[in-house]
Amino acid sequence: MKRQIMKIALVSLMVLGAITAGFSQAKKPTLMVVPSDVWCNTNGYMQVYDDQGTKVKIPDYKRAFQENSDLLAVISKINGMMAERGFPLKNMESVIKTLESERAENAILTSKSGAGVSESPMDKLKKTAKADIIIQLTWDVLKTGPKKSVRFTMQGIDAYSDKEVATAGGTGNPSFSAETAVLLEEAVADKVDNFNVGLQRHFDDLFANGREIIIRIKKFDSWKNDLETEYGGKELNVVIEDWVRANSLKGRFSNSDATENMMLFEQVRIPLYDANGNAIDARGFARGLQKFLAAAPYSIVNKLTAKGLGQAVIVLGEK
Amino acid sequence: MKKHTTIWVILMLMITGFSSVVSAQTNKKANEDTEAWRYELEVAGTGVQGTYLLKVWSYSKKPNVAIEQAKKNAVHGIIFKGFAGDQGILGKPPLTTNSNLEQEKDEWFKDFFADGGKYMKFVSLASDGAVAAEDRMKVGKQYKIGVLVSVNVALLRKDLEDAGIIKSLNAGF
Repeated sequence: MKRQIMKIALVSLMVLGAITAGFSQAKKPTLMVVPSDVWCNTNGYMQVYDDQGTKVKIPDYKRAFQENSDLLAVISKINGMMAERGFPLKNMESVIKTLESERAENAILTSKSGAGVSESPMDKLKKTAKADIIIQLTWDVLKTGPKKSVRFTMQGIDAYSDKEVATAGGTGNPSFSAETAVLLEEAVADKVDNFNVGLQRHFDDLFANGREIIIRIKKFDSWKNDLETEYGGKELNVVIEDWVRANSLKGRFSNSDATENMMLFEQVRIPLYDANGNAIDARGFARGLQKFLAAAPYSIVNKLTAKGLGQAVIVLGEK
Repeated sequence: MKKHTTIWVILMLMITGFSSVVSAQTNKKANEDTEAWRYELEVAGTGVQGTYLLKVWSYSKKPNVAIEQAKKNAVHGIIFKGFAGDQGILGKPPLTTNSNLEQEKDEWFKDFFADGGKYMKFVSLASDGAVAAEDRMKVGKQYKIGVLVSVNVALLRKDLEDAGIIKSLNAGF
């Protein structure tokens, strides 16, 4: 009797597991609108600093959001239209504010014994506004005599492969009387649908051919071996390459850089779900490689870090 | 006298019946033209958010049939055909990327595009049906009529997505 109950419970758990796996959905990429460097430069939202004698300009997004109401209106309009399509965007202004408040909280957060929050330089570096797909925005107002028109460009850039996955742009109809804000609204309404067609094409490709990710292999200088060290007659870089070939979807990847200290795998197509039907991303995929290298006969201690859904780094030699 | 009246009544009935048949045939011909892609879409401006403003050129022996058919042609074209842009306004690709959709969902679209069908919900005549003189042309025995229509694309897309006819942008996530 007890045995039968155990059997029923086991079968129920298996059925529940299968149902859960069936309902599992691919990890949804995040999107964020960012004004382009060209727009920031043209409108004077740049910070200049001296990098060992070279003047370097970087965009001052915070000031742009605080001072430019056109930017706010355009982003809000794009967000409204994307939300209608089931893709609400991350608001960059809010992300910057959240990061700032978290930084302030971390600085003063202490336990009762006086311990602070541990934060490595890497943790600090990673605290930037990010998304899986950046919608880069550029516009300028063109004037011919009394006539005004708006040249407007939206570029959807995959944050990991740096590929432009969707784009829409063009110059609107010139007008004698319409205000810039109205011309901008018109430009957004005209371009977003075409932009979404590109995005849909990108997602269709993702579902058909898998997610495209980047994997970097590095080594700590404290590790006495390197990627040319032989294991069972095979160099470690060949072992890693074989693993990526066997586990990527249809064996699609390109090993664009390889030295004794590092390897770079680009355009690695990974399945959206693992063998158990759970959605995976670059980190989930690279965890397989991490375990493979940590196990015998290699027994290499290694550290895995990830950036968003599409980039993973494995550093060999230490944790 | 009574005989004359009877003849008149029969004659009137025959005329009414005949004109109904002719009208039904004209509508049928217009529907066939729609299915054979015999219409042209021309972008007429940037509509308010979620709508497209188009000039639809339709063909019929009767101008009023062409005007009415323009609504059907506009929705048909937006789903299956898309339209080219004009100076300052981008063209739009069709809502579906599946080139066999109309055959695959034949039954569904038959109901959708039936006379007085659901397509009516998404389209309205932009100028109350008034046709400018230059938009009314006689081509052979037929009229080619250009009518301004406004199509609520956001609502149309949502409806097709909910019915499982086209895929939504976030499908699978």
